[in-house]
Amino acid sequence: MRGQRLCYLGAIAAMFAGVAIVYLVPWICQEMLDAVIAGKILNAPRFVKDWIAEIGGQSVLAQNIWIASVAIVIVSCISGFFMYVKGRGAAIAAEAIARSLRETLYFRLQHAPCGFHDRMNTGDLVQRCTSDVETVRNFLSSQVLQIVHALVLLITVLPIMLSLDARMTLVSLAIIPPIVGFSIVFFIKIKSAFTLSDEAEGKMSTALQENLTGIRVVRAFARQEHECEKFAVNNCDYRDKVFRLIVLLAWFWSLSDVLCLLQKGLVLFAGAYWALAGNLSIGTFYAFFVYVNMYLWPVRNMGRILTETGKTLVSLGRLDEILSEKAESAGDRNTTQEAGPPVSVVDPVLLSDGAPISPPPRICFENVSFSHTTGKPVLDGVSFCIDAGKTLAILGPSGSGKTTLLQMLLRLYEPSSGAITLGGRDIREIDRKVLRRQMGVVLQEPFLFSKTVKENIRIGRSQAQDEEVFQAAADACIDESIRGFDKGYDTVVGERGVTLSGGQRQRMAIARAVLKEPAILILDDALSAVDTETEALILNALKSRHGRHTTLVVAHRLSTLMHADKIVVLEHGRTIQTGTHATLAKEDGLYRRLWNIQAALEDDLRQDSAEPANEMAAGMVPHE
Amino acid sequence: MSEPLQEEEDFKEKLHWELWRKVARRALRQKVYVYSLTAVAMFLAGLDSLFPLVTRAVFDLISSGPDSTVDLHNGLLKCGAAYFSLSLALCVSVWGFIYFAGRITTNMSHEIRRDAFAKLQQLSFSYFDRRPVGWLMSRVTSDCSRLADFVAWGIVDAVWSTTYMAGMTLIMFWLNWKLALLVLATMPLVLLVSAYFKKMILRSSRTIRKMNSLITASYNEGIMGVRTSKTLAREDENLVEFKVLSNEMYGASIRNAIQSALYIPIVGALGSVAIGMVLWYGGVKTLGKSITLGELVAFMAYATQFFDPVQQLAQVFTQMHRAEASGERIMELLETEAQIKDRPELLLPIEKDTPCAAQGIEFRNVSFAYGDGQPIIENLSLTVRSGETIALVGPTGGGKSTLVSLVCRFYEPTNGEILIDGVDYTRRPLHWLQSHLGIVLQTPYLFSGTIMENIRYGRLSATDAEVIDAAQLVNAHEFISTAEKGYQTEVGEGGGKLSTGQKQLVSFARAILANPRIFIMDEATSSVDTHTEQMIQKGIEKILKGRISFVIAHRLSTIRHAERILVIEKGRITEQGTHHDLLRQRGHYYDLYRQQFVREKEAEVLV
Repeated sequence: MRGQRLCYLGAIAAMFAGVAIVYLVPWICQEMLDAVIAGKILNAPRFVKDWIAEIGGQSVLAQNIWIASVAIVIVSCISGFFMYVKGRGAAIAAEAIARSLRETLYFRLQHAPCGFHDRMNTGDLVQRCTSDVETVRNFLSSQVLQIVHALVLLITVLPIMLSLDARMTLVSLAIIPPIVGFSIVFFIKIKSAFTLSDEAEGKMSTALQENLTGIRVVRAFARQEHECEKFAVNNCDYRDKVFRLIVLLAWFWSLSDVLCLLQKGLVLFAGAYWALAGNLSIGTFYAFFVYVNMYLWPVRNMGRILTETGKTLVSLGRLDEILSEKAESAGDRNTTQEAGPPVSVVDPVLLSDGAPISPPPRICFENVSFSHTTGKPVLDGVSFCIDAGKTLAILGPSGSGKTTLLQMLLRLYEPSSGAITLGGRDIREIDRKVLRRQMGVVLQEPFLFSKTVKENIRIGRSQAQDEEVFQAAADACIDESIRGFDKGYDTVVGERGVTLSGGQRQRMAIARAVLKEPAILILDDALSAVDTETEALILNALKSRHGRHTTLVVAHRLSTLMHADKIVVLEHGRTIQTGTHATLAKEDGLYRRLWNIQAALEDDLRQDSAEPANEMAAGMVPHE
Repeated sequence: MSEPLQEEEDFKEKLHWELWRKVARRALRQKVYVYSLTAVAMFLAGLDSLFPLVTRAVFDLISSGPDSTVDLHNGLLKCGAAYFSLSLALCVSVWGFIYFAGRITTNMSHEIRRDAFAKLQQLSFSYFDRRPVGWLMSRVTSDCSRLADFVAWGIVDAVWSTTYMAGMTLIMFWLNWKLALLVLATMPLVLLVSAYFKKMILRSSRTIRKMNSLITASYNEGIMGVRTSKTLAREDENLVEFKVLSNEMYGASIRNAIQSALYIPIVGALGSVAIGMVLWYGGVKTLGKSITLGELVAFMAYATQFFDPVQQLAQVFTQMHRAEASGERIMELLETEAQIKDRPELLLPIEKDTPCAAQGIEFRNVSFAYGDGQPIIENLSLTVRSGETIALVGPTGGGKSTLVSLVCRFYEPTNGEILIDGVDYTRRPLHWLQSHLGIVLQTPYLFSGTIMENIRYGRLSATDAEVIDAAQLVNAHEFISTAEKGYQTEVGEGGGKLSTGQKQLVSFARAILANPRIFIMDEATSSVDTHTEQMIQKGIEKILKGRISFVIAHRLSTIRHAERILVIEKGRITEQGTHHDLLRQRGHYYDLYRQQFVREKEAEVLV
């Protein structure tokens, strides 16, 4: 920020210089009128007088009026140069601040804890990062400068005018305070008109949006006319509110024009009166007349701009809510910054690109509890272990805390009490990034970036070869679908490209996770939108990788769960049952109820088709 | 998705005159205001060009010397009177032009919005398929305002600038043609410089706008995908990618600011050349007593003032480019012809009030494809009689919803025909069919307002009692009456204050109230519990008698009782029959049924 402050100071200095120099133009004209045309004695700094004496005295000037003309052009060019320096310096400062503001916001949003994002609404955050930043940028790059410019014009002209004529100075500035005051008072007074017109606009666009979003409903009931009538009310109201505002502005501009012309007229006729009385030279009179023209309009705008700067404060307040949010990595205890895997018992295996595969760790949940700041606990003393390289399935009704459990392993949330260990080490001692790099995660509604398919999968491991990307896609049963797209692996995903179905997105995310070769693979209901056949294929592919990662699976389908090495049944944040398919199928409980559905199906089919159903899904036969 | 949407305004060197002719025709609907505005702007320009003449008179008075004092004071008074009357007239005309321009811009944007809205109510769904709501919104809001603003303020600026320049030129030539030529000498250069810079500034502004939308998209993605980014430990990479954008934005903004910072001093310097020349030549003449001091001062004023309208005019042309892009998009919307509409040449000469009996619907070799895409429905034939309930099952994307949309005439078949009561439905008015439809969708949409208003949307003339009856029929009455304000409960924007299940119930009641001949339920009860669903089924059984209904559902309880089940796959009917028939066939339905059975029971266990 220091650099930007210097930049601003430089810009303001340049502005002073530019303004001071441009004020020389009326002075040159004044001397031209007085000394050359009216034949008075030249009133100029010593070095100018010396120079004129050298070239032959004042009479030379009268014979060579072009000297004054050239002087005006030179003075204008120098002043123009300073104004350019001002513009450039201010732009660099303002844009650099805006850039660093944007980047800081982005950084903060990326690093804010999940709780923050749970609280905030995406649209609102985006609005803050764009419109509010724009308001601040506009303040820095334009409003500040216009206000300062008006002030500099007044401050600089004051000594010049005083040195010329004190009475005229007073006259020239007499109506300036009312002009500024009038604008400020006026714009504060009509604030409500602005608000009303903004609100009317909001209502109008909400009405429009509702109609467009619900267009099927409108058509289904053939309510087009009714909708047009409804919209007409909002549309007319908006028109009337805007028009009212414009009429108010018409009053502002015409009344402030009255004041400004009064100020100008005052200078013109007071000056003329004194000039007639012989108290004021024509040149000085002319200079005052030009000066007042030079500062009058910027000063008039100053009041209006001043009232607009109030918006900047509001925007800054809204931005501060994001900027003051603590990053999630803050407040760790004993965090290790080492980049390598946290646990390494065996020599790491190397991938084709030389990246080490971390060996899958043993994971233990020890008496883990969690509750949001208010309300009852989501998890209540959960304990279990998964051996290295094994698969654990978590089963439970919705709201039983399954997802929270996984999020805690990822350190998206921290347990309120208890601990989670990887290979015997508390994960709170492991840097978040190091921890997350060990994990491949697939969520129920996975997020894909608006990049190509290949880039999306490769996010898992950026150095992966193309063949590895294809293999990962094949393992996730998505390779074929991808090759069916217009541009295959180079198809862009998302708004600007192809829209994927829920199942396709889930499979893409699985490919992304698998490519990463994670030590821990987490599937959070990640196959819910995939049909049963494809699900079996994917599970088989994952099974063939057995032992390469410790796996945690959350699922609702028995077919996904049954092959796990260990199954944990969760209810109301507690572990109710733990075991394998064989043991749980015999125990009374949630798992057995799921298992019994198969039998119920066969019963149902027998009744419905009035024929015995012999076929049963191969993998679904209870092996007792 | 075949044709790319024109999101960013294209920068064209040439203006599109045909478009502006249309815009002018629209503006001239307010003849009185347009003419008044033009007159006021010209009057204002005239006043502006007269001011230096007052200055001239004042300076001439002063320089005439102290010989006849009384006369001079009298002259000064006259000048003062002239100055203040000019000022007063000027202020009045400033008020006037803002007033008239305000009338034009607000009326014009109001009318365009009204027409665009009405047009949007007619356009076919194929139009909406390719255009996101946000895109359409900005056509009707920001594009519309930009065009209307430009028309109003553009008239002011253009008329004022040209008249002002003309007025000043006339007066200067009347005063002294040689000095006038000197003032005008630098003008061509100023025009050239302005044109060049405005073009550059236009370009960099366009880059800024483009970068701005990329940055917005990037924030959006960064926030929406924040959990995924965290689990992938990708925060730093994301920031690096974002910095590329923010650096480009920085560069473009700086370029834009520097162009402006250069433009103003350069025009200023050119202006000083004009002033310098006037001072030199005029000074010589004043010394030679061939022109008066007042004339010199007046010319200096003209030389200074002449640059304002020139810059203003350059500004008008810059804005014109952006306004033109907006105008094109709006006109495109206003001029789009609805693909599905009443074709007078095809319409049967029936009375508007002939009720739609819906005794039967027949699909004859119907095929359908969106745009140039692959066919969604292929050569499908089907006959449905009054009183039948048809259940449609099959994989996602198989064509179930499209089939239903064809029944509603949201789309028309690309091949083949659909007959209602024995007549091709394209030969009947659209309104005839659509006012007899009742549709309940999986993602139900409610409008902001009360529950009462939302149900009544089905039939605007319904009494409160009828609304409550409909709600009771679909079991919605229970949750509504327990709400604090009952039927007067506000549902919020898009119905956001209700749960999906509640929204489904309300939209069900809405459809029942419409008393439709053809009932369509597209996953209509997917989010209500099984018990409520059974209650609804019992409730609507009576209503469905003598009507035709189409049901798309996953839930077996809904499907099982349908008179006929159609399995739709890849745009064809692959199996049809009753539940029992189909189970016996051991085909797709059999597989679907098994999967769904397990899924439902699992969901029950895991509630």
